[in-house]
Amino acid sequence: MLSVEGLTVRADATDLVHDVSFAIAPGERVGLIGESGSGKSLTALSLMGLLPEGVTAAGRARLGERDLVGVPESRIKGLRGDELSMVFQEPMTALNPLMRIGAQVTEVMTLHGRSRQEARARSAELLERVRLPEPAQIARAYPHQLSGGQRQRVMLAIALANEPRLLICDEPTTALDVTVQKQMLELIAEVAPALLFITHDLAVVASVCERVLVMYGGRVVESGPIREVFTRPRHRYTQGLLAASKLTPRGTRLPVIEGGVPAAGRFPGGCVFRNRCPHATPECETPPALTGDGHAFACWHPAD
Amino acid sequence: MILYLLKRLAVLLASTAVAAVAVFAFMAVLPGDPAEIALGVNATPDAVAELRKQFGTDRPAVAQFLDWAGGLLQGDFGTSYVTSSPIGPQIGDRLGVTLVLVLGGMVVALVLAVPLGTFAAVRHRDPLGAAISAASQLGIAIPAFLAGILLVFVFAVQAQALPSGGYVPIAESPGEWLRSLLLPWLSLGLVQGAVLTRYVRSAVLDVMREDYLRTARAKGRGSTGALWRHGLRNASIPVVTVLGLQLATLLIGAVVVERVFVIPGLGDLLLNGVAGRDLLLVQGVVMVLVAAVLLINFVVDVTYHLLDPRLR
Repeated sequence: MLSVEGLTVRADATDLVHDVSFAIAPGERVGLIGESGSGKSLTALSLMGLLPEGVTAAGRARLGERDLVGVPESRIKGLRGDELSMVFQEPMTALNPLMRIGAQVTEVMTLHGRSRQEARARSAELLERVRLPEPAQIARAYPHQLSGGQRQRVMLAIALANEPRLLICDEPTTALDVTVQKQMLELIAEVAPALLFITHDLAVVASVCERVLVMYGGRVVESGPIREVFTRPRHRYTQGLLAASKLTPRGTRLPVIEGGVPAAGRFPGGCVFRNRCPHATPECETPPALTGDGHAFACWHPAD
Repeated sequence: MILYLLKRLAVLLASTAVAAVAVFAFMAVLPGDPAEIALGVNATPDAVAELRKQFGTDRPAVAQFLDWAGGLLQGDFGTSYVTSSPIGPQIGDRLGVTLVLVLGGMVVALVLAVPLGTFAAVRHRDPLGAAISAASQLGIAIPAFLAGILLVFVFAVQAQALPSGGYVPIAESPGEWLRSLLLPWLSLGLVQGAVLTRYVRSAVLDVMREDYLRTARAKGRGSTGALWRHGLRNASIPVVTVLGLQLATLLIGAVVVERVFVIPGLGDLLLNGVAGRDLLLVQGVVMVLVAAVLLINFVVDVTYHLLDPRLR
């Protein structure tokens, strides 16, 4: 349903996302994980055509038969909020402070051709579906009268309003309290048609998604079914990431990945991870390809 | 909202009352006795005392103030010690002229600033957007009276298209009235418009970076549609603040521009009053100007509440 081939995102001459390819089948829930600066959000924003000024995308991305990348805004905006929608990281600022919640929910429906009346009736249903208490009261409220978790539910209601084919969530629970996080995740897993879920939290990915893409330095370095990737990581970066997230016995030092994520454009040539990788050899100066069926990885010296 | 309105109204009334005390007290401590001024240097002390009694200026200050303030409540500004004519009607006539001048100048400023500022923000990476910013910077550097003189030079002296000064009441000839006000409006409005353009630009730029604009685009609006529907009202909040301050500035700026264009407004009346040592007239005009500024602030605050639900 969604197919991405050779997606590259560029600011000036710097590649921020390089040659990313993946696909999402109808109903499939895919996680996109990696540290900050690995290019996860840019990948998602380029699919929505919402890249910041001065950042451009190239390559191919199609939702069904429609191109998403390299088309003018006038052609892609009909898809946004209709067949493809997105929930952002920061619920506190994502809603217009001067507009009632109800109006902000109905807007996305009237924009895509529903009548005002129908949209209003449906917005009450939607608010109920995302488990907001007293939907009628919420619809009359302004964003500042709601909590962060409630606002994120409103964002989810807006995203689901036109029954999109694909929902993109960019760290939707990062800004929320832990207790609210869990409810929100369950809700997303329940209502999402097909899902691209961006997070840096491995536990979250494991609870929501079936398949995972691991990004580092603007590239997908490993991909496959969650269970396989998490129990038997092949790429050395994934291995490090998983080791760093495990609870360790008291008294031992926390395992870390040595070094830090370089600034954009400062990644080494060849394998982007080789300057932090304990297994790097001169061979790693040649970029490894993402190979393997089902469980794929881009590494010259994979773990077994 | 109603409760806020009542509260704010109470504040307006209280501050106007305080302002009245301040204006009266300030005029009272100024040296110069109306009776002495009226009679000249050769007056006998008896004649002066007699006239003081007639004016009522021999009474205690508090009694004089209550008399004056009580009159104000009924729209009576007292009778001039110099011309013996009632002050209220004069102020009324002149106030109308000044209001037309100030509001016209504001309209010119808004008509310039809102489209230009928004355009400069949307195209802030283009040379054209930068050119608008630069031009507005230049406009800020020019005081209104200089703009007035330049406009007179170009349109009245060189092109001979508009009168260089004078005022024709609208009842006499609407066409001439308009012609007589065009240059004053422009000289007030161009400068204020330049200032306002910069504020509009920065307000729109700030709003363009907001997450909710991205949300609007994620819903399926184009970037222009998102800015129109979600951006402009948000951007108007800081602009209203500046607008209120500017209205107050314009009111003062009008005093000077009325001089340049020989327009019989409040500013002209004030300067005449000062020149003729007509203390009660000056007191009345200053009171009206102060009250107008307080009223503008009131309107700005109420507008905030209408615009921004977070304040309610």
